[in-house]
Amino acid sequence: MTLVQTKYFGTMSYEDESVFDFPVGLPAFEEERRFVFIEIAEHAPLVFLQSLSHASLCFLALPVSSADPDYRLAVSVEDRAVLELPLEREPRPEDGMLALALVSLHDGFSATANLMAPIVVNVRTRRALQAIRMDRRYSHQHPVRQLTIAPVCEGAC
Amino acid sequence: MLVLRRRAGESLLIGDDIEIELLELTPQGAKIGIRAPRETIVLRKELKITREQNAQAARGPASGDLGKALPGIFSQQLKNFPSNR
Repeated sequence: MTLVQTKYFGTMSYEDESVFDFPVGLPAFEEERRFVFIEIAEHAPLVFLQSLSHASLCFLALPVSSADPDYRLAVSVEDRAVLELPLEREPRPEDGMLALALVSLHDGFSATANLMAPIVVNVRTRRALQAIRMDRRYSHQHPVRQLTIAPVCEGAC
Repeated sequence: MLVLRRRAGESLLIGDDIEIELLELTPQGAKIGIRAPRETIVLRKELKITREQNAQAARGPASGDLGKALPGIFSQQLKNFPSNR
Protein backbone atom coordinates (compact mmCIF):
# COMPACT_ATOMS: atom_id res chain seq x y z
CA MET A 1 0.00 0.00 0.00
CA THR A 2 1.42 3.35 -1.08
CA LEU A 3 0.13 6.86 -0.54
CA VAL A 4 -0.25 9.43 -3.31
CA GLN A 5 -1.17 13.09 -3.19
CA THR A 6 -3.96 13.55 -5.75
CA LYS A 7 -5.13 16.70 -7.50
CA TYR A 8 -8.79 16.37 -6.55
CA PHE A 9 -9.20 13.86 -3.73
CA GLY A 10 -6.47 14.62 -1.22
CA THR A 11 -4.18 11.79 -0.17
CA MET A 12 -5.23 8.34 -1.36
CA SER A 13 -3.70 4.91 -1.02
CA TYR A 14 -3.20 2.44 -3.82
CA GLU A 15 -1.88 -1.05 -4.35
CA ASP A 16 1.28 -1.24 -6.43
CA GLU A 17 -0.44 -3.77 -8.73
CA SER A 18 -3.06 -1.18 -9.64
CA VAL A 19 -0.58 1.23 -11.25
CA PHE A 20 -0.78 1.65 -15.01
CA ASP A 21 2.49 1.81 -16.88
CA PHE A 22 2.67 4.15 -19.89
CA PRO A 23 5.98 2.99 -21.38
CA VAL A 24 6.16 5.99 -23.75
CA GLY A 25 4.20 8.50 -21.66
CA LEU A 26 1.59 10.59 -23.47
CA PRO A 27 2.22 13.14 -26.23
CA ALA A 28 3.28 16.39 -24.50
CA PHE A 29 3.71 14.37 -21.27
CA GLU A 30 6.37 11.91 -22.37
CA GLU A 31 7.95 11.71 -18.89
CA GLU A 32 4.69 10.72 -17.20
CA ARG A 33 4.95 6.95 -17.08
CA ARG A 34 2.89 5.91 -14.07
CA PHE A 35 -0.76 6.65 -13.37
CA VAL A 36 -3.49 5.34 -11.11
CA PHE A 37 -7.09 5.40 -12.34
CA ILE A 38 -9.52 6.74 -9.75
CA GLU A 39 -13.25 6.02 -10.04
CA ILE A 40 -15.60 7.91 -7.72
CA ALA A 41 -19.25 6.82 -7.72
CA GLU A 42 -20.66 10.34 -7.69
CA HIS A 43 -18.67 11.24 -10.83
CA ALA A 44 -19.29 8.02 -12.78
CA PRO A 45 -18.66 7.27 -15.59
CA LEU A 46 -15.70 9.67 -15.35
CA VAL A 47 -12.34 8.12 -14.60
CA PHE A 48 -9.53 10.24 -13.14
CA LEU A 49 -6.06 9.45 -14.44
CA GLN A 50 -3.81 10.64 -11.63
CA SER A 51 -0.09 10.96 -12.32
CA LEU A 52 2.13 9.39 -9.68
CA SER A 53 4.97 11.82 -10.39
CA HIS A 54 3.03 15.10 -10.31
CA ALA A 55 0.07 15.54 -7.97
CA SER A 56 -1.14 18.49 -10.07
CA LEU A 57 -1.54 16.31 -13.18
CA CYS A 58 -4.84 14.48 -13.30
CA PHE A 59 -6.69 13.84 -16.55
CA LEU A 60 -10.45 13.40 -16.69
CA ALA A 61 -11.46 10.56 -18.98
CA LEU A 62 -14.51 8.65 -20.13
CA PRO A 63 -14.91 5.13 -21.47
CA VAL A 64 -15.12 5.69 -25.23
CA SER A 65 -18.51 3.97 -25.27
CA SER A 66 -19.87 6.61 -22.89
CA ALA A 67 -18.94 9.32 -25.35
CA ASP A 68 -20.09 7.36 -28.41
CA PRO A 69 -21.97 4.07 -27.94
CA ASP A 70 -21.03 2.99 -31.50
CA TYR A 71 -17.32 3.74 -31.16
CA ARG A 72 -15.07 1.42 -33.17
CA LEU A 73 -11.45 1.09 -32.14
CA ALA A 74 -8.55 1.27 -34.59
CA VAL A 75 -5.31 0.41 -32.82
CA SER A 76 -2.17 0.02 -34.93
CA VAL A 77 -0.21 -3.22 -34.85
CA GLU A 78 2.73 -1.34 -33.29
CA ASP A 79 0.52 -0.05 -30.47
CA ARG A 80 -1.00 -3.50 -29.93
CA ALA A 81 2.51 -4.91 -29.56
CA VAL A 82 3.40 -2.31 -26.89
CA LEU A 83 0.16 -3.14 -25.08
CA GLU A 84 0.77 -6.90 -25.36
CA LEU A 85 -2.66 -7.31 -26.98
CA PRO A 86 -3.41 -9.72 -29.87
CA LEU A 87 -1.61 -8.55 -33.01
CA GLU A 88 -3.85 -10.17 -35.60
CA ARG A 89 -7.07 -8.27 -34.86
CA GLU A 90 -8.50 -5.27 -33.05
CA PRO A 91 -8.43 -5.67 -29.26
CA ARG A 92 -11.69 -6.51 -27.52
CA PRO A 93 -12.92 -6.07 -23.95
CA GLU A 94 -12.53 -9.82 -23.38
CA ASP A 95 -8.78 -9.40 -24.02
CA GLY A 96 -8.67 -7.20 -20.93
CA MET A 97 -8.74 -4.09 -23.10
CA LEU A 98 -10.19 -0.81 -21.89
CA ALA A 99 -10.38 2.37 -23.99
CA LEU A 100 -10.79 5.82 -22.43
CA ALA A 101 -11.13 9.23 -24.07
CA LEU A 102 -9.45 12.19 -22.39
CA VAL A 103 -11.90 14.98 -21.55
CA SER A 104 -11.22 18.68 -22.08
CA LEU A 105 -13.28 21.42 -20.52
CA HIS A 106 -13.93 24.61 -22.45
CA ASP A 107 -14.60 27.93 -20.70
CA GLY A 108 -16.31 26.13 -17.85
CA PHE A 109 -19.41 25.46 -19.93
CA SER A 110 -18.83 22.50 -22.17
CA ALA A 111 -16.77 19.35 -22.38
CA THR A 112 -15.30 17.38 -25.25
CA ALA A 113 -13.71 13.96 -25.46
CA ASN A 114 -10.72 13.10 -27.64
CA LEU A 115 -12.00 10.15 -29.66
CA MET A 116 -9.19 10.54 -32.20
CA ALA A 117 -6.57 9.43 -29.68
CA PRO A 118 -8.04 7.16 -26.98
CA ILE A 119 -6.03 5.87 -24.04
CA VAL A 120 -5.97 2.12 -24.60
CA VAL A 121 -5.17 -0.10 -21.65
CA ASN A 122 -4.39 -3.76 -21.13
CA VAL A 123 -5.83 -4.25 -17.65
CA ARG A 124 -4.10 -7.66 -17.36
CA THR A 125 -0.56 -6.44 -17.96
CA ARG A 126 -1.29 -2.88 -16.71
CA ARG A 127 0.26 -1.38 -19.84
CA ALA A 128 -1.31 1.68 -21.43
CA LEU A 129 -0.70 4.17 -24.21
CA GLN A 130 -2.46 6.84 -26.20
CA ALA A 131 -3.38 5.16 -29.50
CA ILE A 132 -3.58 7.93 -32.09
CA ARG A 133 -5.85 6.88 -34.94
CA MET A 134 -4.59 7.06 -38.49
CA ASP A 135 -8.04 7.67 -39.93
CA ARG A 136 -10.26 10.73 -39.70
CA ARG A 137 -13.28 8.90 -38.41
CA TYR A 138 -13.53 10.54 -34.98
CA SER A 139 -12.99 14.04 -33.66
CA HIS A 140 -10.37 15.09 -31.13
CA GLN A 141 -13.12 17.34 -29.73
CA HIS A 142 -16.20 15.15 -29.65
CA PRO A 143 -18.98 16.90 -27.67
CA VAL A 144 -19.99 14.88 -24.61
CA ARG A 145 -23.57 16.03 -24.34
CA GLN A 146 -24.81 12.51 -23.73
CA LEU A 147 -22.44 11.91 -20.84
CA THR A 148 -23.81 9.96 -17.88
CA ILE A 149 -27.25 9.55 -19.43
CA ALA A 150 -27.31 5.83 -18.73
CA PRO A 151 -25.90 5.93 -15.17
CA VAL A 152 -28.04 8.95 -14.28
CA CYS A 153 -31.17 7.11 -15.35
CA GLU A 154 -30.19 3.97 -13.49
CA GLY A 155 -30.18 5.90 -10.26
CA ALA A 156 -32.71 8.64 -10.82
CA CYS A 157 -35.27 7.49 -13.38
CA MET B 1 -3.56 24.43 -51.40
CA LEU B 2 -1.24 23.32 -54.16
CA VAL B 3 -2.26 19.91 -55.44
CA LEU B 4 0.19 17.73 -57.40
CA ARG B 5 -0.23 14.26 -58.81
CA ARG B 6 2.77 11.98 -58.18
CA ARG B 7 3.46 8.32 -58.89
CA ALA B 8 5.41 5.96 -56.66
CA GLY B 9 9.12 6.75 -56.91
CA GLU B 10 8.54 10.40 -57.79
CA SER B 11 9.56 13.28 -55.56
CA LEU B 12 8.82 16.88 -54.96
CA LEU B 13 10.94 19.59 -53.41
CA ILE B 14 10.00 22.23 -50.86
CA GLY B 15 12.52 25.05 -50.84
CA ASP B 16 16.16 24.12 -51.28
CA ASP B 17 16.58 21.40 -48.74
CA ILE B 18 13.35 19.44 -48.21
CA GLU B 19 12.50 16.52 -50.48
CA ILE B 20 9.33 14.45 -50.20
CA GLU B 21 9.34 11.15 -52.04
CA LEU B 22 6.27 9.02 -52.64
CA LEU B 23 7.75 5.57 -52.02
CA GLU B 24 4.79 3.24 -52.27
CA LEU B 25 1.04 3.38 -52.80
CA THR B 26 -1.21 0.71 -51.30
CA PRO B 27 -4.92 0.57 -50.48
CA GLN B 28 -3.88 1.05 -46.80
CA GLY B 29 -2.13 4.32 -47.52
CA ALA B 30 0.85 6.02 -49.09
CA LYS B 31 4.38 5.46 -47.83
CA ILE B 32 6.22 8.76 -47.87
CA GLY B 33 9.94 9.43 -47.45
CA ILE B 34 11.13 12.81 -46.23
CA ARG B 35 14.63 14.22 -46.60
CA ALA B 36 15.03 17.37 -44.54
CA PRO B 37 17.68 19.12 -42.42
CA ARG B 38 18.08 17.62 -38.96
CA GLU B 39 16.66 20.73 -37.27
CA THR B 40 13.41 20.56 -39.27
CA ILE B 41 10.68 19.05 -37.14
CA VAL B 42 8.52 16.53 -38.99
CA LEU B 43 5.38 15.44 -37.15
CA ARG B 44 2.28 13.53 -38.09
CA LYS B 45 -0.44 16.14 -37.83
CA GLU B 46 -2.51 13.89 -35.53
CA LEU B 47 0.41 13.87 -33.09
CA LYS B 48 0.54 17.66 -32.99
CA ILE B 49 -3.24 17.80 -32.45
CA THR B 50 -2.95 15.19 -29.69
CA ARG B 51 -0.16 17.12 -27.94
CA GLU B 52 -2.26 20.28 -27.96
CA GLN B 53 -5.41 18.47 -26.89
CA ASN B 54 -3.55 16.71 -24.05
CA ALA B 55 -2.20 20.04 -22.83
CA GLN B 56 -5.75 21.37 -22.73
CA ALA B 57 -7.10 18.22 -21.05
CA ALA B 58 -4.39 18.48 -18.39
CA ARG B 59 -5.60 21.92 -17.34
CA GLY B 60 -8.96 20.53 -16.15
CA PRO B 61 -10.83 22.13 -13.26
CA ALA B 62 -8.67 23.67 -10.51
CA SER B 63 -8.03 21.22 -7.70
CA GLY B 64 -10.65 22.66 -5.37
CA ASP B 65 -13.24 23.26 -8.08
CA LEU B 66 -14.12 19.76 -9.16
CA GLY B 67 -17.38 19.60 -7.22
CA LYS B 68 -18.46 22.92 -8.68
CA ALA B 69 -17.16 22.47 -12.22
CA LEU B 70 -18.46 19.03 -13.09
CA PRO B 71 -22.12 19.37 -12.10
CA GLY B 72 -22.15 22.82 -13.76
CA ILE B 73 -20.88 21.49 -17.06
CA PHE B 74 -22.58 18.17 -17.24
CA SER B 75 -25.95 18.89 -15.67
CA GLN B 76 -26.40 21.78 -18.09
CA GLN B 77 -25.85 19.38 -20.95
CA LEU B 78 -28.13 16.75 -19.47
CA LYS B 79 -30.99 19.24 -19.40
CA ASN B 80 -30.78 19.37 -23.17
CA PHE B 81 -31.78 15.75 -23.42
CA PRO B 82 -35.46 15.02 -23.88
CA SER B 83 -35.36 12.11 -21.46
CA ASN B 84 -33.97 14.34 -18.73
CA ARG B 85 -36.29 17.31 -19.00
